[in-house]
Amino acid sequence: MGLTDALARYALRATHVLVVEVPGEWRTRVGLEQQMLRRGWRPAWTPADADVLAVCGIPGPALAENVGQLWEQMPGPRVRADIGSLSHVSSALDDAATLLLDTPHHRADAQNRPERPQLPEPHGQSDDDGMDHGGHGHHGEHQSADHSDMGHGGHDGMDHGGHGGIDMAPEGIPLATGGQDRDGLEMDVLHLPWGPVLPFWPAGLVLRCALQGDVVVEAGASVIDDAHHHGPGEGHPAQAPWAAVRCDNAMALLALAGAEDVAVRARRARDALLDGNGDAARDAVTRLHRAVRRSRLLRWSLRGVLPLTASDLEDHGLPMSCLGDAHDRLVSLVERVRAQVHDRGPMNPSGTGAVVWDELPHLMTGLELATVRLAVASLDLDPLPGAREVARA
Amino acid sequence: MPEAVVMTVPGYWAVLAAVLLGGLAVFAAALDAGLSDRAQGLGGGWGAPLAGTARLLRQRRRTTVAADAVLWRVGNAGMLMGALLMVAVVPLGWWALADLDVGVVWFNAVDVMVWALVWLAGWGANSTHSLVGGYRFLAHGLAYELPLMFALVAPAIAAGSLSVGDVVAAQEGLWFVVWMPVAFVVFLVGVTGFSVWGPSAPALGADIAGGVLSELSGVDRLVFLAGRYAFLAAGAAFSVPLFLGGGAGPVLPGWAWSLVKTAAVLGVLVWLRRKLPALRPDRFMEIGWVVMLPAALLQDLVVALIVVGKA
Amino acid sequence: MYSGLVSMALVAMLVVVFLYALHRRTAVAARLIVSLPFQSGWIPNEHALSRFHVRWYLASLVFLAFDVEMLFMYPWAVVVLEKGASAVAEMFLFLGALLVAVLWAWREGAFRWV
Repeated sequence: MGLTDALARYALRATHVLVVEVPGEWRTRVGLEQQMLRRGWRPAWTPADADVLAVCGIPGPALAENVGQLWEQMPGPRVRADIGSLSHVSSALDDAATLLLDTPHHRADAQNRPERPQLPEPHGQSDDDGMDHGGHGHHGEHQSADHSDMGHGGHDGMDHGGHGGIDMAPEGIPLATGGQDRDGLEMDVLHLPWGPVLPFWPAGLVLRCALQGDVVVEAGASVIDDAHHHGPGEGHPAQAPWAAVRCDNAMALLALAGAEDVAVRARRARDALLDGNGDAARDAVTRLHRAVRRSRLLRWSLRGVLPLTASDLEDHGLPMSCLGDAHDRLVSLVERVRAQVHDRGPMNPSGTGAVVWDELPHLMTGLELATVRLAVASLDLDPLPGAREVARA
Repeated sequence: MPEAVVMTVPGYWAVLAAVLLGGLAVFAAALDAGLSDRAQGLGGGWGAPLAGTARLLRQRRRTTVAADAVLWRVGNAGMLMGALLMVAVVPLGWWALADLDVGVVWFNAVDVMVWALVWLAGWGANSTHSLVGGYRFLAHGLAYELPLMFALVAPAIAAGSLSVGDVVAAQEGLWFVVWMPVAFVVFLVGVTGFSVWGPSAPALGADIAGGVLSELSGVDRLVFLAGRYAFLAAGAAFSVPLFLGGGAGPVLPGWAWSLVKTAAVLGVLVWLRRKLPALRPDRFMEIGWVVMLPAALLQDLVVALIVVGKA
Repeated sequence: MYSGLVSMALVAMLVVVFLYALHRRTAVAARLIVSLPFQSGWIPNEHALSRFHVRWYLASLVFLAFDVEMLFMYPWAVVVLEKGASAVAEMFLFLGALLVAVLWAWREGAFRWV
């Protein structure tokens, strides 16, 4: 039908992409973002909004489980683009665009996919008091076993009620149960895992938060597939210009703070640094620096977010660049980048890679959700070295 | 009581009013997309909202496991309907669809309805991100709503009437924005509040993966987003009779001035989104109560004293 | 007078119905798909619908007190011109008293919740 095709072609201009960054594939993800921007494609924040699921790199077994779940959550038309490396970005997106236009394919997909999510057997956890840090690797394996047992076709979702007690677990998911809040009131606790796939979030980090209302009462950090990382590959951030990685992290913090124009400046500075055009990069970094210094509202918004004193830094083993609150850290980050592009700083200063991810839970407990996101972003984490740190711990 | 300058038109003009509001909403969306692309150093982008509409019309609808479906959909679709109901009392030049005796209160009633709508849209999805977003909106509402109400009262005091037509008539010679600047600014903050826009949008924030929007797809997402832009346009449109002299202006006819002024206010609100960071609810609560509320009250006092003093 | 509102309500409903009907024809499939909520790809531990801990409940109580006050403010705005200075004095003494309560609540930390 002509009209359907015309609609599909027109819709293609506004394609939304859910980006998955496998730890270590920083450069591929950035390349993907640049390509998307040129096509007018925009990032989706959740699978509900996504047309394309773009996986940068080859996920390990646990991340693959998560990606599979996200794929099931996409409404369709849906296309998966596996992008092995930076050089494949363009062709992968071309293929995705072609497949997106194939309406009969998407009709068939809608016919053949399960109508309801396939839940694993209820694992009888009425929650074992908070976070079990190590146990989640197992968890993933259970799920995959269950998946294959149940099979995908002809599955009736109503079965689920039968297993876990109808009252306590409608549709196979338990109801929230109470816990004491800090004032001794009994309030329901919700568990919200953050990462590995979340906008403006360090790749591979998983922070499992227990929430009462919008305040984190307990948290546990882990790294997805921490046994599976090999040495730095070509996409690894350690291979990318140090300053570009810093600008990318600043962009995440600014985007989370809702300061869009400044975030765009950080993005442009990052891309200019990657292009290697010295003058353009200096110019972009100067603009970023000016914008960050000037914005009073930004200062107001970031002031007092996770303030760290020198003794806190020592206690948590954090580098000196984390001193102060989120705004101090942002300014210090931008200033270090500026010093480097003007050749006044060390050529390849070590990142803040020493920020140990298992310190995060101690820092985040008791904070409100928005503050947690800003706090994590403000620590300027370097993905993979941190991962190894946790693996060793 | 001033003579009525606003004429009520028959009900079927509601279609035109809806078309105009839709046009303004599309204008706001296109402007936002265009500014966004310009900031990125790209050209174009103006067409993105229409392409995005095509995309959402093609995308399947989606629900979540054990969602509270009825309440969820009421919240989604209610945004668009609420915006249309709000604009019913806004005169276009010298014509009004409904010039109620209590037009200002009607506006207020509709904007309070948004509390329910956004919260329902957040609650219904049975998703933590969405739920947190819904409650965030309420926290924001607690901070912006009272100052907004007191800002709405200021023109009513000066006109001695709650009818929008009388408020317009009372501005002959001097627009209210000139001697009620504080009320005007507080009103605009309120407009961003009930349209969940720009700095007042933590309910849809990136930090909670889009919050209330996080589980919406297809036409459900489309009506919520359209409702949001429509509310922004309706709020901007209401600022014109309230503070900016309605259809008054040289050369052009009244309806044209109404549209021009509305588009200008709308343009500023859209432009500001990119410039201002999000007002986090936990910080904004204090601002709303300790800065905006006393400021709005003081404005009301000044207006009341001037009005009584002149009489 | 209310015909404008009624017809606008009808138009609003028609717009929404039209969009949903249009979507049934244009979407790749009209049926809804049931999905798990987004949790970064993890399966939720529990349903999100729960007793949410609103930490700003104190602020909402103060809000209610002020909101009821608005019942007086609207009619007052209409008659203030007739009644003159005494009406202004009475209303703003009342508002002043409420504002003192707000300041007290502020000092007690009712508008901070984390």
